[in-house]
Amino acid sequence: MINTWAWCGWLLAGLVALSLTRNPTYLVIIFLSITLVSTVLVRRAGARRGFFSPLYFLGFICLTASLFNALTSHFGNTILFAIPGQIPLLSGAVTLEAMTYGALNGLVLSGLFVIFMVFNQALPARALVRLIPRAFSPLAVVISIAVTFIPATRRELELIREAQAVRGHRVRGVRDALPLFMPLLVGGLERAFQLAEAMTARGFGGEGEAAAHAFRGRFAMLAGLLLILAGWLLKLVTGSSPLWAGILITAGAALILAVFVLISSRSVSTTYQTESWSVRDGIVLAGAALVLVVFLVPSISPWHFMQNYNPYPQITLPSFNPWAGCAILGLLLPAFLVVSVSK
Amino acid sequence: MIAFHQVTYTYPGASVPILRDVNLRIPSGALALVTGPSGAGKSTLLRCINGLVPHFSGGVFHGQVDVAGLDPVRASPRQVSQSVGFVFQDPESQFVFDAVEDEIAFALENAAIPFAEMHARVAEVLELLGLTRLRSRPLDSLSGGEQQRVAIAAALALRPSILVLDEPTSQLDPKGAEDVLQALERLQRLQGLTVVLAEHRLERILPFADLLVHVENQQVIAGPPRQVLARIALNPPLVRLGKALGWEPLPLTVEESRPFVAKMAFQPAPQTRKSMPEDGPTAPVLQAKALSFSYGSELVLEDANLELSGGEILGLMGGNGVGKSTLLRCLVGLLRPSRGAVTLYGKDTAPLGVADICLQVGYLPQDPNALLFADSVLEELRITLRNHHLPVREDFLLEFLGRIGLANLAAQYPRDLSVGERQRVALGAVTISLPKVVLLDEPTRGLDYASKAVLLKILQEWRQSGKAILLVTHDVEFAAMACDRVAIMEKGRVVQVGQTARMLRGRPLFAPQIVQLFPDTDWLTASDVLRACGKDGRV
Repeated sequence: MINTWAWCGWLLAGLVALSLTRNPTYLVIIFLSITLVSTVLVRRAGARRGFFSPLYFLGFICLTASLFNALTSHFGNTILFAIPGQIPLLSGAVTLEAMTYGALNGLVLSGLFVIFMVFNQALPARALVRLIPRAFSPLAVVISIAVTFIPATRRELELIREAQAVRGHRVRGVRDALPLFMPLLVGGLERAFQLAEAMTARGFGGEGEAAAHAFRGRFAMLAGLLLILAGWLLKLVTGSSPLWAGILITAGAALILAVFVLISSRSVSTTYQTESWSVRDGIVLAGAALVLVVFLVPSISPWHFMQNYNPYPQITLPSFNPWAGCAILGLLLPAFLVVSVSK
Repeated sequence: MIAFHQVTYTYPGASVPILRDVNLRIPSGALALVTGPSGAGKSTLLRCINGLVPHFSGGVFHGQVDVAGLDPVRASPRQVSQSVGFVFQDPESQFVFDAVEDEIAFALENAAIPFAEMHARVAEVLELLGLTRLRSRPLDSLSGGEQQRVAIAAALALRPSILVLDEPTSQLDPKGAEDVLQALERLQRLQGLTVVLAEHRLERILPFADLLVHVENQQVIAGPPRQVLARIALNPPLVRLGKALGWEPLPLTVEESRPFVAKMAFQPAPQTRKSMPEDGPTAPVLQAKALSFSYGSELVLEDANLELSGGEILGLMGGNGVGKSTLLRCLVGLLRPSRGAVTLYGKDTAPLGVADICLQVGYLPQDPNALLFADSVLEELRITLRNHHLPVREDFLLEFLGRIGLANLAAQYPRDLSVGERQRVALGAVTISLPKVVLLDEPTRGLDYASKAVLLKILQEWRQSGKAILLVTHDVEFAAMACDRVAIMEKGRVVQVGQTARMLRGRPLFAPQIVQLFPDTDWLTASDVLRACGKDGRV
């Protein structure tokens, strides 16, 4: 399995790339790379093919965004046809440029959605929770429970929907949702109560000295936040940047940091899963770094100007540099390096 | 050792204690079976052992509990968790993480066990519970029995000297239940673990129990199983038979009963049970014809055929995950089969919606809580009638409630009722439209003997009135009492259908105690044997 931090680097590179370019050639390469990683992950996990297909999703979003933009934005020189009359927002020329711009936005949106989906596919809930610092281990457990609660709640809702359907219940309006909502709410509360009981029985929850430390820590963090707030208000009221405001903000930030370090060092829990760092993880991170360099460092990257593309006012072919295209393929590396995933 | 001294406990808001002046002693290394009617206080007694009562529940607690030298009332549940592992009824509701190893390690992480030792302990419990090959699996990919074994492994990771389990097998099929019980028996034998276990189906656990603890009417009766069984009314079939025929000492297992059977002064009459014809009654009301259904690429039903006729109770049995519930959901239109057809009175149901089908076919899903949301029992029935656009007549509703034994609970909030009563409210909510066909999915889950007897009576009355009843169940003793025919499902197909006695006799895992004891007869229940002996079957 690829290290969690390597996956984080990959996610960051993908997000930066998707956010900074509108060049369709690069966007297509990014999207296809992410989709291929997703396909490999699904196959390696041995999961059955789901209902979600990234390519169908892309098609749907691009089409919707393209139509929406074409009907609401009437800029561009290449007029396809015109909507007559005085219909607010809609009437006017429908241009190829507007359609293209909408499709590009759809491509970016789909890419963002799929990259988070891949990240979630690649890492089990536990690995994501492990990213939370030890000082917040109770918070990490709460998040883990929330993550596992979502599919359980979805299953529960399906059971309730079926159970009400066999009593002749049909959902026609908001009021008809009550028979679904009430059992879901009560059942969710009951499950939460059972889980809390089970966790207590397994020794979860601080007490004695540890609890006292945690309480003092929370108090000190609150004090730190108040100091920052006071500094900010002082700056806001005086309209300049007085020395005292800076001191208050710095002191508040230092207090929070100190508490953070102190609680982490006194954390009484240990961790079962630790991750090692392998050459494979290094390669994934290097691929991500390459993408970041191409998109973030214009002085190093000679192809920086080519990332930008604007179909307005007259549509043109986008520029493409094969070296930049190859560098973006750094996002594809996990597809070759994933050996097993835990879900 | 666990000792209760004059323990009295009252839940917050309750006017009377659920346990009063309880004295109990469970020796180290014993397996204590806790039994009693639903709501009698079994779970409360168990929760006193690890301090969840009163720490988690609140309420008023008097007396003292001594658990391996600790007082769970004075100590915190966290401290007690080092000595007492606790396993709940529903494994899924106690899981914190989504993978086997992570789940087992959770308590160890909380106890700050060092990394190397943590790994050694996880490996140890995985081995003990036979879970090593499943260590990396996601929890939702495991069967019910495997999930419950993971829950036990998680409870054992802190190496407690006492393991407390609250109805751990109630949701499992016979195979899953047997796996869990064998694991417990092995743990007790090899590790000297003290096991305290609450369970309704005594016949499963009695052979392993050193001590029987019966909780009823705020009081506890405890002692060797034979002594306690002689004093209480909740008896599994063999014990009931032994008591009625005066067998001494009272046999707890089929093996212990065989010498008594050998001395019985009568020849078994092979046909004493009134049965349906072998090929089933004529004119099927509901038919599944070569049904196939898949979840994604996973084929769950494959050419499944089934016929259900009026005036019969047909049991549908098989292991977890063979497609029983999926078949029921296809029958009422909740799932649309990819191939095959469902016919009701000879007509294809494909053009009908779920509500239209369920007007004629009452379907009780596994979890009654999914059905109940109204403020009162009576309102639950009214809602179903309104959904179906049927007239709401109060006199009819009250009469109906009387027929299902809920007349005195009409104004009660359904979710406050006992498991058995809630099950009957749900049953009422799906059958108030008086359907001619009733499908029940695991209706005896979590029910005590008394609640099962009430349910059995309702089903028998419905059968008498000509209703066709399909009963999906893992409860072999209930199937033996209720069913005219049994269909066996395997891998998405109905592989065999026939008379109950023949079906249950041919499969050791599904064989009730009486069938195991009298394999050459068609007797299924203690009442059958007693009738053959010329005694009153109701003894």
